[in-house]
Amino acid sequence: MARWNDAIIAAGAVPASHVPEESLGRADLTEIADAELVEDRELGVYPVDPTGVAPSTVSFLDGIQRWQVAYYDGVVPIVRGYVAAAVRRRTDRRLRTVREATRHFHAAARTALRPGVLAALEESGVELVDIPDVAAAQPGRALEAARRVVEGARVAIEKDAGERYVATLPADEWLVLDGLLSESALLARHPRTLAVVKSHAAQYFEGDALTRALTIPALTRTGVFRPRGRARHEVYSWYLRLWPWEGNDLLFGLVRVEARADQATVAAASAVSGWLVRERAPVSTPDARWDRLLYPIHDVENYLKARAPRDSLPLRTSRFPRAS
Amino acid sequence: MTEPRAAPAVGRVVATELKPATPHQFYFWTANETTIGIGAIVKVDTRATGNGQPATGIGQPGRVVYGVVTDGFAYSDLATPLHDVVGAEGDPERAAQSPTARQEIRLWVAAVLRQEPEEPLQPVPLGQVFVATDADVAHALRMETYLASAQPTAIPVGLYTSGGLEAPVYLDADFLLGPEAAHLNISGVSGLATKTSAVEFLLSSIFQYFPAHKGRIAAVCFNVKGPDLCFLDQPGTLDDDDRRRYERLGVRPEPFGQVRYYAPFKADGVNLNTLRTHPDLVGDVEPLVWGLQEVLDFAEVLLNRDDIDAKADAFIDFLTDRVLNKEFEDGFGGTHSVQSFADLDGLFRSIFNGLEMAGRGDSWRTHHIATMRKVRNRLSNISTRCKGLVTDDGLPNDLPWGAFEDRAVYVVDVANVDPLGQDLVFARVVSKLREHLERRGLGVDAVIVFVDELNKYAAADGPDTYVKKMLLDISERGRYLGLVLFGAEQFRSQIHRRVVGNAGTIVYGRMDYDELATPGYQVLSPATKIKLATLPAGELMVRHPHFTQPIFVRFPRPAVLRGRDGVERFPPAADVSFGEAVVRQLVKLDRRIRPNVVQDLIADRSPDDVRRALAATRQARPEDPLALFRRVLGSSVAAAVGARAREPVPPLTSIADEPY
Repeated sequence: MARWNDAIIAAGAVPASHVPEESLGRADLTEIADAELVEDRELGVYPVDPTGVAPSTVSFLDGIQRWQVAYYDGVVPIVRGYVAAAVRRRTDRRLRTVREATRHFHAAARTALRPGVLAALEESGVELVDIPDVAAAQPGRALEAARRVVEGARVAIEKDAGERYVATLPADEWLVLDGLLSESALLARHPRTLAVVKSHAAQYFEGDALTRALTIPALTRTGVFRPRGRARHEVYSWYLRLWPWEGNDLLFGLVRVEARADQATVAAASAVSGWLVRERAPVSTPDARWDRLLYPIHDVENYLKARAPRDSLPLRTSRFPRAS
Repeated sequence: MTEPRAAPAVGRVVATELKPATPHQFYFWTANETTIGIGAIVKVDTRATGNGQPATGIGQPGRVVYGVVTDGFAYSDLATPLHDVVGAEGDPERAAQSPTARQEIRLWVAAVLRQEPEEPLQPVPLGQVFVATDADVAHALRMETYLASAQPTAIPVGLYTSGGLEAPVYLDADFLLGPEAAHLNISGVSGLATKTSAVEFLLSSIFQYFPAHKGRIAAVCFNVKGPDLCFLDQPGTLDDDDRRRYERLGVRPEPFGQVRYYAPFKADGVNLNTLRTHPDLVGDVEPLVWGLQEVLDFAEVLLNRDDIDAKADAFIDFLTDRVLNKEFEDGFGGTHSVQSFADLDGLFRSIFNGLEMAGRGDSWRTHHIATMRKVRNRLSNISTRCKGLVTDDGLPNDLPWGAFEDRAVYVVDVANVDPLGQDLVFARVVSKLREHLERRGLGVDAVIVFVDELNKYAAADGPDTYVKKMLLDISERGRYLGLVLFGAEQFRSQIHRRVVGNAGTIVYGRMDYDELATPGYQVLSPATKIKLATLPAGELMVRHPHFTQPIFVRFPRPAVLRGRDGVERFPPAADVSFGEAVVRQLVKLDRRIRPNVVQDLIADRSPDDVRRALAATRQARPEDPLALFRRVLGSSVAAAVGARAREPVPPLTSIADEPY
């Protein structure tokens, strides 16, 4: 590693070690979307089925992304990115990793790089991803573009891991993933996949329906609806309140569940909700999102974080110039 | 160094800023289900590469570290217990039913036993951790130096057991029995039969493994309570586990081949004061009888702290040098030949009467009368309180000084003897052992002295008794002489620090919590203390000069009959009549002797005369014991007159009433 690192620096790049705060998580996409009610004519509120239990074997999929500015070629940032996804299968209440994928890459606007630096990057043996349409300018735009590239890589690796896994998923097992099911056609139409969405930047209702959706009491769900808008592949969805929100925040304990767009999903929504309510324990503290973050997903995330390269973490030490 | 084994790693060393690896301690984690436990020996091997990757870690590549687990921690990713309550909505049943079990860790602390290479001494590298094998255990405990040398000096002490592994652990005879270090101290709570059993097993092991080049060895065991050591020659009950452990240790499970029992008589002077009086066994017990000569040599034992002064010492020396076994004129016209307590008391009475008649009431031959009365009281006291051990006028019967046999155990049963008598027995036996060993005239080259209840004999506080001073002397000088102290007690913290400090080998059985809270145990981790407080019978923690950390070992039950079982199998016989006891002792010497002949001989005779004749016969061991007995007994008239002329020794006045 040292040799190609030296080569890039020798070509004129200046080493850097800036890890943007946003590199640790994904950004919510704000969107005003539409929804088509499936279960009822007006958005209803239903209690979860207390008899709903988790299948004996369930797998959980999550991914992480890390990126940092590793060099500057002039004012052009060169980003080192890392994305990973893992599937951990739960049997006998224990989670074990059954699939894992990682990807390291450099990301930079190729056209803005000097030839020597570009050559050194290409010869480094690490994949170089182009950040298109970013001219040499203040680095803010380039960094935002880099973030999008890294996030796209993370979504892709999650999707790939999920699709590969469900291809061999046994008939009595389920896959639960963190994020959107609608990113993948294969996952979206699979009968035993679920997605649990913790962020609620996308708005599917307005008026009374919106109020009803976002103020449902604990241990209830909304009626099933079909999200419109950004969703690439058709899925059914519903809101589910895991914890009482009164005294907290409107979105406290609120998740949105995505499942196959099928009448069977409507029939099973209350039972599946009952299952997810059982997943509240153990709580996933100390994560700040513990009210919406299922513990197995938290576990997959911790697993991936533990295996991530140390240099992709934000610096906790002083950024004073080094003595040498 | 051994080559990396194929066995999978069970853990991995971790080091953080708050929990760093040091040259003497390291942390490692294992799977939740693991065979590792407190006391387990592990090996950190940086040469092991795991999944084919080159070994990485701090420190030199190729470094191997052996450690013993001293503490363990388990924790989950739970931020606070309250979150568990919240998750379970306050219902413990629901917590147990949660679909996913929390992530947990088993984190262990290990103390370094050995590093290879030993120089430069460095922090333990972040390597993989393996369970130690037999060879690793031997290497970790540095046993190869005395196990595989040209002249091995290894003595099996027990099995290190962990995760199905049973590796023999050996002590070095040079450090257990001298001359490099010596002595063993064992402590533990009473009632678990661990201390005595451990010593019995270890003695058996020593007798089987004591190196030939170190000469001959014997053991002297003081039985100070119950029947503990009364059946060392009888086979005990072993189960399959015990037999397997014996086989693994290479020790033959058999009782001691040569055991000699010594016990004083009861006050009647004919029945032995021991629990080994079953008719099938009593014949093996030799009476322990001492006379004035034997007692006077150790008169200091009989004097309490207030008594010890130059005047009393001088008077006792005077008696020893000028009076004992000599014709002595008392200055008032009487001539005395003092050979017994009765003779001595006659001398005292003659002197006191003479002083009274002469009107000189304060001194005799420069000795103040108060000093003389004090010494007389102390000497009389022992013959009264220890009647049966100390004979007023009979012949002594003692241990075979100068003729100790190799691999023999000499059991001195003083369990039922007055504490003062126990002190006397202990002091005299040990002093004689030292005397004979100093001039190489005991018959063996080394003697192990096993003393139970050290809390009584070598207490850290309390007066400096003669016995305590002698124990200190053995502890500090014994290893040069071949006199080795195996001491046992309940509370190690209350033993004189020089006694335990000089013990090269320290053994711990189950310990009392209060005892473990004393400063002497601060070096042990909390987990080790808890393990010590809950040790099962048959398991010990051993410290030995070669072991840099204490090691837990399991030993098999000794192959001898336990005292409690022995009393059930061989119930002590009821005391027999004086005549019957005399008959039995003579029949023991010659089975042809007819009881009615003996009964006729002793009829109407004074018991003192009979005892004297019996003692003479017993000591001479002639071809015709009955003839000698008859001859010593003499005519009935003469003996009867002599006996009646002798008055019993008057009882002591209490020390507090004395005028000085």
